[in-house]
Amino acid sequence: MAGALDYAAAIPALPLAGFLVALLVGHYAPRVLPRDGAIPGILATAGSLALSVWVFFTVSGGETLNEELYTWVAGEGTFSLHFGLLIDPLSAMMAVLVSLIALLVHVFSLGYMNDENEPGRPRYYAGLGLFTASMLAFALADNLLMSFVFFELVGFCSWWLIGHWYTRPGPASAAKKAFLVTRFGDYFLLLGLVGILGTFGTATFTELPELVTAGLDGGATTYFGLSAQNWFAVLGLLILGGVIGKSAQFPLHTWLPDAMEGPTPVSALIHAATMVAAGVYLVARMYGFYAQLPTVLAIIALVGGFTALFAATMALVKREIKQVLAYSTISQYGYMMLGLGAGGYVAGVFHLLTHAVFKALLFLGAGIVIVAMHHDEDMWNMGGLKDKLPVTYWAFLAGSLALAGIAPFAGFWSKDAVLHEALVYGLGGNTAVLVAAVFGLVAVFFTGFYTIRMVLLTFHGEPRSSEAESAHGVGWNMKLPVAVLGVGAAVVGFVNPGLIHELTGASVTFLDSWLQGPIETTAAHHYHELVAANAAYTATEVSSVLTAGVSLALALAGVLLAWLLYRGPEPAEHTEKLGSVKTLLYNNYYQDEFQDWLATGVALPVSKGASKFDQGIVDGVVDGVSSVTLFSGAQTRRLQTGQVSNYVMLLALGLVVILAVVGFLGGWF
Amino acid sequence: MIPTEYFLLLSAGIFCIGLFGVLTRRNALVFLMSVELMLNAANLNFIAFSHMHGNLVGQTFSLFAMALAAAEVAVGIGIVLALYRNFKGVDVTIPTSMRW
Amino acid sequence: MARFRFAEDVRVLPGLVALALFVVMAAAFLGANLPDPAGFPADATLIADIGYSLFDFTDESGVPTEGFLAAFELIDLVLVAALVGAILLAKREDGSIGNPLNWGDDE
Repeated sequence: MAGALDYAAAIPALPLAGFLVALLVGHYAPRVLPRDGAIPGILATAGSLALSVWVFFTVSGGETLNEELYTWVAGEGTFSLHFGLLIDPLSAMMAVLVSLIALLVHVFSLGYMNDENEPGRPRYYAGLGLFTASMLAFALADNLLMSFVFFELVGFCSWWLIGHWYTRPGPASAAKKAFLVTRFGDYFLLLGLVGILGTFGTATFTELPELVTAGLDGGATTYFGLSAQNWFAVLGLLILGGVIGKSAQFPLHTWLPDAMEGPTPVSALIHAATMVAAGVYLVARMYGFYAQLPTVLAIIALVGGFTALFAATMALVKREIKQVLAYSTISQYGYMMLGLGAGGYVAGVFHLLTHAVFKALLFLGAGIVIVAMHHDEDMWNMGGLKDKLPVTYWAFLAGSLALAGIAPFAGFWSKDAVLHEALVYGLGGNTAVLVAAVFGLVAVFFTGFYTIRMVLLTFHGEPRSSEAESAHGVGWNMKLPVAVLGVGAAVVGFVNPGLIHELTGASVTFLDSWLQGPIETTAAHHYHELVAANAAYTATEVSSVLTAGVSLALALAGVLLAWLLYRGPEPAEHTEKLGSVKTLLYNNYYQDEFQDWLATGVALPVSKGASKFDQGIVDGVVDGVSSVTLFSGAQTRRLQTGQVSNYVMLLALGLVVILAVVGFLGGWF
Repeated sequence: MIPTEYFLLLSAGIFCIGLFGVLTRRNALVFLMSVELMLNAANLNFIAFSHMHGNLVGQTFSLFAMALAAAEVAVGIGIVLALYRNFKGVDVTIPTSMRW
Repeated sequence: MARFRFAEDVRVLPGLVALALFVVMAAAFLGANLPDPAGFPADATLIADIGYSLFDFTDESGVPTEGFLAAFELIDLVLVAALVGAILLAKREDGSIGNPLNWGDDE
């Protein structure tokens, strides 16, 4: 029997088949399509999940895969462009995660889309299928070019799915905004990719770390007269541009809250667990490259820490449940970037894993609430849903506690790992990381606050509107994924409970040992060595009990404050007391308006000027050539007057000229 | 013996006077007369070189040229007639159809 | 009888081309080194010799010449063609030749 790795290419291919079935059969023979494309999607993602789990166990047995599958452009005497698969612990874990969440979202969509009779379901399932295929291919990619191609594809699917209800102006505009903002970041990624291909002659992930090491010792081709260190930093920053766009970090975070206009399962799959994870996953995939560039790491940590705090403050005052979750997503991805930037590879990946589980859970739970509330998302119209949606409530609570970082739920372990790594390296002399770590710590307090505020307003108290009073329960197809994820949010933290390891010495850090994979260049300990080799990243000894205690205390403080303010049957809108601060936060620090201004006030005049240049000068030259030709033709035409005398005159003139020329040349005179 | 250059100068002068007439006169008949002048200038050239070489070929040739000039004038007068019939005048600047 | 008038509608400018041509040709001719004219013997019967050459009797000729019989025949044909052509051109569309000498204008 052939090994799992021989079938690895089927992991992204199955959802692609599901996409094609939903698209083509849905267009040509819609009545034949079972449940409007849900069944093909469910079967495809279930197949991918089964294959991914099988691959997972094969990799845990020590096998890996790093091969080219398809040569796109064969280079002569230079690099060639190819697609291939890299199956190592990180990508196997990501494949399992993506296919699991995709399967649960497909099942959930049976309830959210089919049972609610939403329009355009074949189109929806086709989009989900293509997205899943692209995300899996992205996770399993072996080189940066293939990653980039599928990075763009998931961006396209995001546009497709956000704009599912495109007849309404809100979703259509939000889809455009999401695509454009991420595309803006992806442009920098493309530049970085081209730079990497030009500098190293390859974009394969496993080859890059050694090439960077060799380059830093001397002998790399750099451009613009920069030293190797600086040029590699430029490349790293360019790729970071794409990461910031896709993972919705500051300043390219503005698209994610608007992306909530899409259906909630889409928000759960794409904008919580997978597509926004693509950026962070890319940093983790290329960690061997980044680990040797301390400046870029510090910038990553700073951006992450700042975003974590920045988004958490904005989540404090939001009224709609999905908006709170959107800003929470931005904030949590900031934590992941903080973890990675601080040198904590395992911590960042761990938080990616746990966050995917509990954020998908929270979004699906919010989806149930929205369906129950007949698509009213304002939390101030909810209340008392705990009795009407019990399963949802308990699962949502588990997810919220995970988000807030309360032990023993998943988020506690991963957030603690991130903050521990940040403080360890920050106190070791790296100021940027220390600042970012402080931001992260403050954000823990806010996270706890807004999470419990959300839970209390939605589920507790008395119903504040008629929809809340008449909220109905939902079917099993929506409750099952939420329940599964609820259990996950409770237990997935135990794959790497670092604190228990510290306290008892038990070897329970499964993720850590999992990521010390067979391939040397992508192993976690290799990354650790690379980070430690840089002077800026010296680790101090900080007890993880201390950091865990501090973060837990801050989270509990936030929870307690929210509990005090929002408990009881009739909570008041306490955020009004913040006054103008609230307006600032509610308007998202006017970032959207700022970016609008950049487009209309800066980019538009520049492009108008360029257009004028193009029409006036470039077109003008071309038009000028043609008009000169036409004019000279018109004037030359006037030679032919039709009068014989004129023709004779021209003949004679020609004769005179020829005689004179021949005479001078021939020496007649 | 008269040097040949004088004959040639004379013939050049007559040719250019004929050419002047072709270029500037408007009457079709005067146009034809100028053309005759040019032909006769060419004949003078033949005679001059016949005299220079001592060979009769040039003179015989000029006889033929004169005969051809007569034929050409005959046809030319016919064309002037056709011109008169179509354009109600013999002004050569009036018919301008031979152009774009 | 019409009085002679100088033509007043002459455009002189194109005529300068004729002047230029004369200048060029004069310069060429005056600069050419032509051999002295050989001329003909005083007692040569030139016209008779031309006649001989027209009929290819070049041996009878006192002066060197060539035979022009073919050209003679051809020019004969050309003259006939010119005569016929002139009459054809002069005919009117209805086939008559009109009144070319204006007979009957005195009445």
